Amino acid sequence: MARQERGGGRRERREELPERQFQWVVPKGRKATVYEDITLDTQPSVHRFLHNGYFVSYPDGRGTWDDDSTALDVLGWHAFRDPAELWERPYYQQGAQCEREIEAATQGARADGLLAGIDPSWIEFLRRDGQIPAFLEHGIWSITTRRSRAALSDVLTHAIVLYAAMKQRQAQALVIEGMDLDADFGDITIEAAKDRWRTEPAWQPTRALIERLGTITDWGELLVVTGLIVEPLLGGAVRRELLMRGALAAGDPITPVVARNAQREGRWWQDLTTAFGRFVLTDAAHGDANRELLHVWREDWEPEALAALDALEPIFAGGGVDFTTARDRVRTDQEAVLAEAGLVDAPAGATA
Amino acid sequence: MATPTHRRRSVTRTHERIAQLGWDRDYHEPVPIYDTRYVFPDSAKDPMKQIMREYLPMQLEKDDRLYGGFDAALRADMPTKADERWLEVMKPLILILVFAEGAAGRCMSVVMDVVPNEELLNGYHVQFVDEVRHIGLQMGLARWYTKNTPDPAGWHNGQEFMSNNLITRAGVNMFSHAFTGDPIAAGITMMSVIETAFTNIAFVALPDVGARNGDFIQATTYSSVQSDEARHISNGYATMLTMLQRDENVPLIENDLQQAWWSVHAWVDPFVGAIMEYFSTDRSDEESYLNKWDRWIRDDWYRSYVEQLGKLGVDIPPTLFDRARERLVDGLVHKTAPLAFAMWPLNFWRFDPLTEKDFEWLEKTTPGWYDEYGATWEAYAALADPAEGALLLAGLLEGAPPMCWSCMLACVIDHDMCHRVCEDRHGVERTRFYCSPECRWIDESNPGRYTGDRNYFDRHHGKALSELIIESKLIRSDGKTLVGQPHLKQEGMWTIDHIRACDFTVTSPNIVSAEAMGLPSGSWHDPSDLHGAVQADGNGFKPIRVDHDDRVANPLTSMAAAAAGGKNWVAL
Ligand SMILES: [Fe+2]
Ligand SMILES: [Fe+2]
Ligand SMILES: [Zn+2]
Repeated sequence: MARQERGGGRRERREELPERQFQWVVPKGRKATVYEDITLDTQPSVHRFLHNGYFVSYPDGRGTWDDDSTALDVLGWHAFRDPAELWERPYYQQGAQCEREIEAATQGARADGLLAGIDPSWIEFLRRDGQIPAFLEHGIWSITTRRSRAALSDVLTHAIVLYAAMKQRQAQALVIEGMDLDADFGDITIEAAKDRWRTEPAWQPTRALIERLGTITDWGELLVVTGLIVEPLLGGAVRRELLMRGALAAGDPITPVVARNAQREGRWWQDLTTAFGRFVLTDAAHGDANRELLHVWREDWEPEALAALDALEPIFAGGGVDFTTARDRVRTDQEAVLAEAGLVDAPAGATA
Repeated sequence: MATPTHRRRSVTRTHERIAQLGWDRDYHEPVPIYDTRYVFPDSAKDPMKQIMREYLPMQLEKDDRLYGGFDAALRADMPTKADERWLEVMKPLILILVFAEGAAGRCMSVVMDVVPNEELLNGYHVQFVDEVRHIGLQMGLARWYTKNTPDPAGWHNGQEFMSNNLITRAGVNMFSHAFTGDPIAAGITMMSVIETAFTNIAFVALPDVGARNGDFIQATTYSSVQSDEARHISNGYATMLTMLQRDENVPLIENDLQQAWWSVHAWVDPFVGAIMEYFSTDRSDEESYLNKWDRWIRDDWYRSYVEQLGKLGVDIPPTLFDRARERLVDGLVHKTAPLAFAMWPLNFWRFDPLTEKDFEWLEKTTPGWYDEYGATWEAYAALADPAEGALLLAGLLEGAPPMCWSCMLACVIDHDMCHRVCEDRHGVERTRFYCSPECRWIDESNPGRYTGDRNYFDRHHGKALSELIIESKLIRSDGKTLVGQPHLKQEGMWTIDHIRACDFTVTSPNIVSAEAMGLPSGSWHDPSDLHGAVQADGNGFKPIRVDHDDRVANPLTSMAAAAAGGKNWVAL
């Protein structure tokens, strides 16, 4: 209620009445943002306002929400904020913008006759592997959307839901691109892509990894593993190094737009998960235990993710992309992500 | 030569391709974190198709229109033109509906965790995104009211008030059923009952009342919300048809649909009924809540949905439906209202005395209303002025019926009220009251479900009302005026000193009733527990003993029996 005093002798503005503000909102900055006002404590908990406990529980004793839904612990999950403050309206603005850009690129390429200029070997690549990353995105979606409910604050739940929605959009954009190219070049089917996703040896370690994500029962682990390991290594390699760079070199005017929009969304998740890493690692009471746990998770997932990445070498070769350079790039990126999250020291010479 | 630059993609063909994104797992099967009693057929029924390329711009356009509407409403000076009585009830209504939206979204996540059928998953997921949208829209509306309407008190600490108010906490209880427990039962609660039956009442009929009271921004917001519900209803129907392909599921659906129906009715009907019938200053609408209920719930839901399920092998006797309607005819809304309104010092909204016009309308729509309830409302009016120095609550709480363990509202229908004696974890006998045999059946047949310090008054038994108000933070920023008021005037507002002068001590009707009936303690409050709850029938605790018959001697066995198809209905 201290804000009543602000402004000294100035006539109190209407909005500055304490009753005209959501007093339960603890703003991160000086003043609550719209995002904070419309998001915070929309998921009440026994730590925030449900003073009488949970009224409905599971037969096994778990409450409506369960503090043990993640092995991580912090003094209060409600203090975590999405650095980008994403809420429904900007989400729809950005998502619709992504789809508009892709649609415009597709129509423009056709109108300007650019499709004819695409390197034929790249078309072959797209026919073979262009839609396979859609399975990767869809696989991440399918676990993410299942873990959103258990997360221990509104901010976290909404972020996980919107991340899942982005994964779904990205997967569908690749499939629609394949469908469009099929109309122009023929013989580009989702069935063939699925078959290859399920049988091609080079893709199998990736598929096994994505399937294994589906075994994650801890939403905190899911944030850490996707944000700090799988996305920077595999997502970055496939979207940016393979699809975007490969397409740019081959004169493909559509794929880079599809990939770039996915990357833009990916940066939001990266910022969010690195902020999440810092949040749990700097927790005054549980930071050390969380650090140990994050190291365990990293050891548990990173070698498998790297092995999956290494197995993609022939796929990169098929797309005319130098694998060693790509691998070095994403490895450096991931180290920067881990440093940003506070899990490792910043690599020498890094600017991030 | 003209090159076709924009070939129209067929939605069906696009969807066919997108539907191929799922694959059979070979390396690792997904691990769910929730358990279900249901079994799943190999192939599912398709809900409405969703493609992000169509979905995103469609939702954006709706958002743009709505948020533009907020500005337009300001320019049109709606905040001061809308009826103030109506604006007051938006405080509890919108905040509990925001919780409901969160419940609906989270329901999708629990359902997705157990449903293996890829065809259904995308629809569920898109619904969760919709529900995040609905939270944004309605919190945006709450924020708009807070910034612009004449008296924002109550909004300022709304989330905390909502979680703890007698009426809205019972709503938290009810909506929690929609994302806690068996995911498919939760899905039936949300999609087949709340969304299919009640969103028409909450998002269509209610905003119409709002518009009659000069609040068109509420109507605009809710019609934008409702525009997504067709998809959600379609998810519910596809889920239902999918589950019905396996005979083993039929008794589960019969059980879960009836229980969900009852739990939702038990809270939504008195709450929304009271809003419609008491909070409208405009009396141009000839329809009572029951008239609207007959149209939206009986005709549009029960007759065209539940009865039709009979053709698909689901045997749902009309009993529980008829019983709910009978309770409305018996005065569920009007009997719940007096205590709820007499509780005004503990509410985070204001309500003014009923006027002559209100009396006339209520008598006309509910003949006999005046004889039964008129005196209470006259007393409410007479005591609205703090100079009178008396509280209606003081007169009402003494003889008030106990609160129902399951639905958490008062047991207002005398001949329906029942109880049972259970042992707590220490083997101490305590009495649970229920508003109806149905609420008792639901408690008995769902061991471990109902937890927390449920009876609102137990924890405050023997406490000065003034102390409870302060503890509940129901004081305005001047440090003395109450948030809740029994009138809408700016002068003559009640302060905490007025309450102190009344010297009223809160008692728990559950404790008082149990004592009067010679039953073991009616209190389920334990001050030594972290959340004040007497721990009772959670998993691993002693099974509950039933006081009069042995239908539920061991709830775990009877739940298993229900799951195996043994009917477990309440004999009425
Ligand atoms: Fe909704
Ligand atoms: Fe919905
Ligand atoms: Zn009840």
